[in-house]
Amino acid sequence: MDEEYDVIVLGTGLKECILSGLLSVDGLKVLHMDRNDYYGGESSSLNLTQLWKRFRGSDTPQENLGASREYNVDMIPKFIMANGLLVQTLIHTDVTKYLNFKAVDGSFVYKKGKIYKVPATDVEALKSPLMGLFEKRRARKFFIYVQDYDEKDPKSHEGLDLSKVTAREIISKYGLEDDTIDFIGHALALHNDDDYLDQPAIDFVKRIKLYAESLARFQGGSPYIYPLYGLGELPQAFARLSAVYGGTYMLNKPECKVEFDGSGKAIGVTSAGETAKCKKVVCDPSYLSDKVKKVGKVTRAVCIMSHPIPDTNDAHSVQIILPQKQLGRKSDMYLFCCSYAHNVAPKGKYIAFVSAEAETDNPEEELKPGIELLGSIDEIFYHSYETYVPTNNQEEDNCFISATYDATTHFESTVVDVLDMYTKITGKTLDLSVDLSAASAAAEN
Amino acid sequence: MPSRRRTLLKVIILGDSGVGKTSLMNQYVNKKFSNQYKATIGADFLTKEVQFEDRLFTLQIWDTAGQERFQSLGVAFYRGADCCVLVYDVNSMKSFENLNNWREEFLIQASPSDPENFPFVLIGNKVDVDGGNSRVVSEKKAKAWCASKGNIPYFETSAKEGTNVEEAFQCIAKNALKSGEEEELYLPDTIDVGTSNQQRSTGCEC
Repeated sequence: MDEEYDVIVLGTGLKECILSGLLSVDGLKVLHMDRNDYYGGESSSLNLTQLWKRFRGSDTPQENLGASREYNVDMIPKFIMANGLLVQTLIHTDVTKYLNFKAVDGSFVYKKGKIYKVPATDVEALKSPLMGLFEKRRARKFFIYVQDYDEKDPKSHEGLDLSKVTAREIISKYGLEDDTIDFIGHALALHNDDDYLDQPAIDFVKRIKLYAESLARFQGGSPYIYPLYGLGELPQAFARLSAVYGGTYMLNKPECKVEFDGSGKAIGVTSAGETAKCKKVVCDPSYLSDKVKKVGKVTRAVCIMSHPIPDTNDAHSVQIILPQKQLGRKSDMYLFCCSYAHNVAPKGKYIAFVSAEAETDNPEEELKPGIELLGSIDEIFYHSYETYVPTNNQEEDNCFISATYDATTHFESTVVDVLDMYTKITGKTLDLSVDLSAASAAAEN
Repeated sequence: MPSRRRTLLKVIILGDSGVGKTSLMNQYVNKKFSNQYKATIGADFLTKEVQFEDRLFTLQIWDTAGQERFQSLGVAFYRGADCCVLVYDVNSMKSFENLNNWREEFLIQASPSDPENFPFVLIGNKVDVDGGNSRVVSEKKAKAWCASKGNIPYFETSAKEGTNVEEAFQCIAKNALKSGEEEELYLPDTIDVGTSNQQRSTGCEC
């Protein structure tokens, strides 16, 4: 421990592990520690015994649920956009070689008590029972506009400057009904609330394009992919990248106290009486709790079931968005389900999650509309956590703190935070279009 | 469910830092040895094609990437291993004594479905050092340990001189194949994310 490092990373959550990997690849000397004896921190996947320990205060789950080790229950369930930033990061770093992915079977949206497949293209819009005859045609025209929209080609803009026009204005140009706006904004553009309506439409249009491009990528029934054995594999894969490039790993390190000099700059980390020196500290909010502030709370139900979610064509893996308006809420609720097909449960078992930004102090009542869609449930756990964002100035203290994982259904905001932190730490912008393994192979030749 | 025939065999190498895990891999796959020891940096996994009867397999040999130094290998490293190679240094009693820990750690983390019969192979490395004069673990002692753990095959090697390395890995490959066949012949249909943007052609381009 008595060495000096460029960066000490605390916590092995996904964000910290991606950063650790990227920084080691850059040639920085990285020490990565975690107070737990396992990888993943808040973004780990638990087996049955760990789940019982955390939520039931015992370590003996009943036997009829199957082998503990066959469960990988995500603590931060999210799907991966097939054409999104996380996939670009995985390819850029070649970390895909450590992982196996399968497509997610279905993407659905909730409307007036029923669930429908999400239409994402002009062709699907025409077939969708979500809309009436005339609305289908209007929606089709809107989808064609979005598909053809190319930022670099003014001809495709139809005279609209999307950096000035709001999403609301674009939608009204196509005369779309409120229910249509609801599913486009929430189930396709994946906005968690309605704030986007009064913002420039460019982000809205890009998000719909991302959805459609992701859907086309692997020809699955959804735009999402998900790793075998659960999301806990992701931080471990990036940690291995870091280790392969020289990063030092120490799990099970108690305390991990950041040390500061007289001017308030981080200079090292102490654990069990030993101090490792460093120039910069990267960590999750739990390691520097006096430099973060609470911004919200995520509430979640974790359910073990013996059947797929009803009315999803028996999909083994599925996402269902319940737009806020449909439930009279301020933000969306979403369902996420995976099964033994993704090796997260023993044969015949399904893991379903109901998640939302907490708006009350009663998760059971609040999540009811989502839980009611699940049918019979073998076991249910409720789980809430507070979300934090950093309040420090990293130029003054050399501390780079990630934000807590938000309630969004996928990883785009996670990777945006990582890329932003990477730029703050290194002063460089990461070009994800470069394939690192190809680049290093070329350098060797 | 559409599946493909399994042709990839995963082998992991475990043992204390400095016993020669990376060197053994390198000697077997690249026929190279470097005398300069540095704690493993840049070692990931190496692959080698092996043929059995009329079938070709890819042996994927995973290095610990140095994460064993502070007992920080995650469960993902162990997942899906078809054979586990345990390595110790015949000149270091401690590295021999730790074999029990490594074996147990593997069985806990990898949780193979039939732990009694999971194939381990033991390698006693560095037999070349000092003409054998600094050796502290006898062959007899190592073989007795192997016998007590269900007759683990045992090889004494020198990664430096290439002694017995080929033989050891042939045994490893054979055992990995046997366990791989019993375990699951077919893999679920996963998608290939590793290729960059797949531009789809939307039909006729004339």
